[in-house]
Amino acid sequence: MDSQQKDPRQGGHDPFRFPKWANTIRLPVTLAAALAPLYILGLLYLLFSPGATSVGYQPEQPVPYSHQLHAGQLGIDCRYCHTGVETGAAATLPPTSVCMNCHATVRTQSEKLQLVRESFATGMPIPWVRVHDLPDFVYFDHSAHVRRGVGCESCHGRVDKMEVVRQAEGLNMAWCLECHRDPVPHLRPEDAVTVMGYVPDEPQFELGRRLRDARHITPKTDCSTCHR
Amino acid sequence: MPRIMKSAAVVLTLLALIPVLMLVKARVTDSGRPRLSLVYDMDDQAKVKTQRAGALFADGRAMRPPPTGTVARDELVGQDRRRDGRVDTLWVETFPAPVTAATLERGRERYGVYCAPCHGLAGNGDGIVAKRAEALMEGTWVPPSNLVDAAIRARPVGHLYNTIRFGIRKMPAYGSQIGVDDRWAIVAYVRALQAAQAGSPSDLPPADLAALGPPPAPAAATTTATTTGTTGTTQQ
Repeated sequence: MDSQQKDPRQGGHDPFRFPKWANTIRLPVTLAAALAPLYILGLLYLLFSPGATSVGYQPEQPVPYSHQLHAGQLGIDCRYCHTGVETGAAATLPPTSVCMNCHATVRTQSEKLQLVRESFATGMPIPWVRVHDLPDFVYFDHSAHVRRGVGCESCHGRVDKMEVVRQAEGLNMAWCLECHRDPVPHLRPEDAVTVMGYVPDEPQFELGRRLRDARHITPKTDCSTCHR
Repeated sequence: MPRIMKSAAVVLTLLALIPVLMLVKARVTDSGRPRLSLVYDMDDQAKVKTQRAGALFADGRAMRPPPTGTVARDELVGQDRRRDGRVDTLWVETFPAPVTAATLERGRERYGVYCAPCHGLAGNGDGIVAKRAEALMEGTWVPPSNLVDAAIRARPVGHLYNTIRFGIRKMPAYGSQIGVDDRWAIVAYVRALQAAQAGSPSDLPPADLAALGPPPAPAAATTTATTTGTTGTTQQ
């Protein structure tokens, strides 16, 4: 190597040969080249994973409705407003008339409720921003899950602590399948489905297995279960 | 090694950290911006789904609201004591279907969801929403009735049913939130709440009354209750 490094014309550095110090960076450069694909794959993984794309979506709503107050402090059951949840595919956002059940007499002058009163007067719905939005090729049915004892909390998180609703789970297919393959961690007694922060009296896996066997819960994992 | 190479290596390493930090930030913070859809596919299709505005009509509704007076296919025309809770102007006095333990259980559950916020779990008008409205000193607020009051105990079941369906005074209508059978189940449960708090021994069937044993002497009621407590004859 030493004999080849002399430049016959200038007696110095030959631009077509690696300088001697290049030897010292061989290891770092090799490592960098080897790790580059891993780095890029890692970035793509982080970028595509629901933790980055979906979880934490918390849009501002047209009316500053607080679940923390209504469901948390006042303890109003989820089903008071989301009446469709036990009987239909959609949990249903309540019509404005349900808001007015109370707000016809409570906080009647509140500025925050201006849009609610307008909606009630005109019959046009409040333009709520959808938080939990599955792709249109997924046919999710709330009643099928709620009536088998999957708690609201399993998918929606601690809504009773949310001032503004926030997407707590990824709602991606792998996440759905996790529970379809093993629903035991999410099964509750019938009267505890809407309870927030439910703590079973017995270990969850015992309760879940008992409920699963008693109700013959065998979630399907074939494509047409959700994609129809 | 030229110095610039060292600096370049440091700068490149730092630059490579930026996307990582951005992604970490995206994962740990909440955002009001629409979620990232990297593979868009057919996530949002040009079709109308439940509770979504459609582009077909100017008001965004997918279907036209039915004209006033429209009758649904399975809707009954004319009188129906189960649906109306009354016949002509007379309230129905008996339940349209047998009341079973399952009915009461269903009623208890529905009562907890729709009624208890105002009327309270025991029906005494002390629900948490009522308490809060009073604390806020809302001028327009009317305290909910105590469902165990004699006046409400005296009402026919049809009247209670009608109250759930259409509301009464300041109480709003719950017909859109509670179905026909659930309304009757709630009425049955309200009757149970009333019986639990304002009933008398004479309401009991003779067999149950006999099981309770003789009533304690009124004068020594407290002492009798404590001494007979272990024998299981105290009244519930």
